[in-house]
Amino acid sequence: MTQIAQEIPKVGLVMEEVKVVRWLKNVGDNVIAGEPLLEVETEKSVVEIEAAVTGRLTEILVHADGRAVVGDQVAWIESAQAQSAAATTLTPRTADPKADAPLSSPAATSSRERLRSTPIARKLAAEHGIDLIGMAGTGPGGRVQLQDVQRAIAATRATLVGAQPPSPMRRAVARAMTLSHTTIPQFTVARAVEWTLLQTLRGEFSARLPDAAPKLSVNDFLMQALARALIEFPALNATFSGDPESASAHLVQASGAHIGLVVAVDNGLLVPVIHEVEQLSLAEIARRRHDCIRRALLGRLKREDLDGATLSISNLGVNGPDRFTAIINPPQSAILAVGRPRDCVVPRDGDIVVRPLSDLTLTVDHRVADGRLAALFIARLVAILEGRDWRLE
Amino acid sequence: MTDSTLADWTEMYAALWRIRLFEGHVQRLAAAGEIPGFPHLSTGQEAVAVGVCALLKPEDVLFTSHRGHGHVLAKGSDMEATFAEILGRRSGLCGGRGGSMHLVDAANGVLGATGVVAGNLALAAGAAWAAQAQGRENISVVFFGDGATGAGAFHETLNLAALWRLPLLFVCENNGYAEFTSREEHSNVKHVSSFAAPYGIATQTIDGNDLPAVFAAAAVAIETVRRGAGPYLLECMTFRMAGHYVGDSQQYRSKEELAEIREKCPIDRLKRHLLERGVSMEDLDAIGERTKNQVLGALERAYAAPRPDPATVLEFVYRAPALASIPG
Amino acid sequence: MQHTFIEILRRALDEELTRDPAVHLLGEDVAAGGAFGVTRGLAQKHGIARVRNTPISEAAITGLATGAALCGLKPVLEIMFIDFATLSMDCLVNQTAKYRYMSGGQLAVPLVVRTQAGAAGGAAAQHSQSLEAWFIHVPGLVVVAPSTPVEAYGLLKSAIRLGDPVLFIEHKRLYTMKEELGEGAELPPIGRARIARPGTDVTLIAYSAMVQTALAAAQNLADEGISAEVIDLRTLLPLDMATIAASVSKTHRAVIVHEAVLNGGVGAEIAARIGAQLFDELDGPVLRVGCPFAPIPFAPELERALLPGSADIARAVRQELLE
Repeated sequence: MTQIAQEIPKVGLVMEEVKVVRWLKNVGDNVIAGEPLLEVETEKSVVEIEAAVTGRLTEILVHADGRAVVGDQVAWIESAQAQSAAATTLTPRTADPKADAPLSSPAATSSRERLRSTPIARKLAAEHGIDLIGMAGTGPGGRVQLQDVQRAIAATRATLVGAQPPSPMRRAVARAMTLSHTTIPQFTVARAVEWTLLQTLRGEFSARLPDAAPKLSVNDFLMQALARALIEFPALNATFSGDPESASAHLVQASGAHIGLVVAVDNGLLVPVIHEVEQLSLAEIARRRHDCIRRALLGRLKREDLDGATLSISNLGVNGPDRFTAIINPPQSAILAVGRPRDCVVPRDGDIVVRPLSDLTLTVDHRVADGRLAALFIARLVAILEGRDWRLE
Repeated sequence: MTDSTLADWTEMYAALWRIRLFEGHVQRLAAAGEIPGFPHLSTGQEAVAVGVCALLKPEDVLFTSHRGHGHVLAKGSDMEATFAEILGRRSGLCGGRGGSMHLVDAANGVLGATGVVAGNLALAAGAAWAAQAQGRENISVVFFGDGATGAGAFHETLNLAALWRLPLLFVCENNGYAEFTSREEHSNVKHVSSFAAPYGIATQTIDGNDLPAVFAAAAVAIETVRRGAGPYLLECMTFRMAGHYVGDSQQYRSKEELAEIREKCPIDRLKRHLLERGVSMEDLDAIGERTKNQVLGALERAYAAPRPDPATVLEFVYRAPALASIPG
Repeated sequence: MQHTFIEILRRALDEELTRDPAVHLLGEDVAAGGAFGVTRGLAQKHGIARVRNTPISEAAITGLATGAALCGLKPVLEIMFIDFATLSMDCLVNQTAKYRYMSGGQLAVPLVVRTQAGAAGGAAAQHSQSLEAWFIHVPGLVVVAPSTPVEAYGLLKSAIRLGDPVLFIEHKRLYTMKEELGEGAELPPIGRARIARPGTDVTLIAYSAMVQTALAAAQNLADEGISAEVIDLRTLLPLDMATIAASVSKTHRAVIVHEAVLNGGVGAEIAARIGAQLFDELDGPVLRVGCPFAPIPFAPELERALLPGSADIARAVRQELLE
């Protein structure tokens, strides 16, 4: 038998720290690989972590309310199985695993140099919940001293009334958007789409669905159209991975059309993903969309609900702006910003007519694709949206 | 023999026995591990303590050395409290803080023994100076061994005492040994009294194991000091029947020497003297028996006394209350 | 009217001799006024029996003073230089300090040993030392080191009245310092430090002549916008940790200043206590300023090179605050 370490896998966008909500198994229980083992709270939601291997849970290293980061070992599972991808083997287990395994403290896994700070600075910082990490010390050798903490406290007080550290959600969004903005070269292409026909079809299709079924939304049509376009343009259905300077940089081709939908939640946003949309009917898309939005609002998304998309839709709705650009949600490579539908004057066959239009703005990762491809893609998308070729059921 | 009565001599005979028996118990208890530290015995030297102290007044002050049990008892300190101190009991003279080498009984004029050879000579001079400065009648007596004469403080104190005409009696118990080394190996000066002359200090060398001789010489010396004629150095030649401390195997002494010393036992000598003067053996045996019971009774009471409370260990470091409460 | 340190000390002694007949002065040359003139005229006024010359016998006169203190006198013994207190050591350490304790409180030693220490004017290696640290190691002793004439006046009187043996260390550089002595001032208690200059940024802990040096440093630092609080310890044994703790809890920084070498010094003791008691208050390491580890040399250039000055203190403070 081998002791295998259960680690925290990477979940979602740029998750770094999680809080253990509860263990779904007790020490001594048998677990099966892939079976939910514990629940952790990420910046965005509560997700279930699956057992890495089949075996017996022998020790929990990070208990409920404890914190861990990606890669941290949170439990030992005694297993006859070979080493799993998400597990680290320790054989033979001769000593207290605590002596070897990094525990939940982020500091324990940090390779960062020891923070130099004075005792009174540490005391005051702890009293005010100030994080000394990253603080520039003015003392000898960059030592964080009392005045540095006092300034940090004063700065906190000097900002808006009730200023607080960002919520985990806010911090997660900030981190993801900063990563996007600083590492992804982005450009946009825009086209107007006319909704006349689609609105008619939407009414007809809805009438054909059972009353209990979720109502079709424009987003469902957008999903199906985007899925088709992505399959037709595989070069856009990919993500860029690694430092472009590095030999290990590569493009990751998506196996199907996995599309995220930006959902506004309290003080932030979530991007649940509907997978293999190219295989789904409008009714099924609607059903899944309905389910994942509900779970997003409840904070009950699972890890797989957040992973795998190459493109997302950001639709601010009928009361939204005329047009806007969105920032790509890493590691995805594109995002479609949907302006509000509005009646516009359009020339049609030499006449002037009024039609419902929206401006679609596609933001693309320039590392993945160039402007010409993006232009073709959005033109094709508009053509699909303005056409009759839909799969309802 | 002075005008002392026979009763005085039999009392001094009892005093010799008190010290001898007391120290016998100390030796036994120390060997049994019942007494902490390393007590030093004056066995064989008792006549000096008894002869000198018989002539002291209660207000006279006394300083002694590490070998001081006899002097303290001869000065009249309570035997039980002295035992208790040597045993480290709460009821000891110093509450268990001093022990064998640091006996103090201030109320009885015993201002202290010291573990530092020659350490108390100057203090005794200071006590004499205080008496002189305050116009008091008492004198100061300091007992020391011949080993102390190697220390500078001895010579400094002789000089000071003579210079200031201090009421100070130096009593040297010259037992021929400084710890484990004989006098011959320590100094070319055979007699300690030789040091007195240059300072103009009156002196006499006597047989310290002959109690009547000690008594007679001490009477002269004390009278000299008390009348303000300055210090006096009384050198008492004596023999240490025991080792330097309890447990000293005395390998540096020959069997013949030890046998010879036993012949000179001051108690035996006084006993012969008293028998010659017509005291009956029965009376002397009765004194011995009575003393034995007294000593045993005191020992038993001291032994049963409570031990010091560890919580009091920081008491008495300072007198000033404000300081006593400040740690360090 | 301003008076020198020596004159003010003399006045304290004169007043105590007058106040209490148990008080006696003794020491080498004291009847003639002493090596520094502190006791000048006192033998004429109070008699040579109370202001008494002794032979050059430090071991014996320290024992003599101790024995006299056991028997009702309150001797004030002058040991001309602290360097010669080495000859008094046996008595001070083995007898004087321990008498009260060893006797279970039966006896006390109300003795003041006045001595003077420190470097000045080419007194060189055997007449310039600062040996106070040796004495703060001895339970039962009290060690006092005044910083000004007026402080010395009050502390000497308090020492004479204390009832425990006091080593009273004067600094020869302070002997010519002048101050006006007010009337009826309350005597400073033994065992309590004082704030010689209030401040907020750093605590300078000093005693004896170094208080003056620390005050000069604090003045210079004030010009740079650094507010230094100066503590005058007054008593080195026992240490007034309460005053130190209050100050360091305010400034969060401490620099200890003494003329003695740093090794095993008073500063080491204070630093250790601050580290143990005030760790969470500290905003920087506790620093010490003292003589480099060498005997005091003779030539003026060498003596100056060794002695810590206000610039050294200011440098330590800047190191604490700025570097």
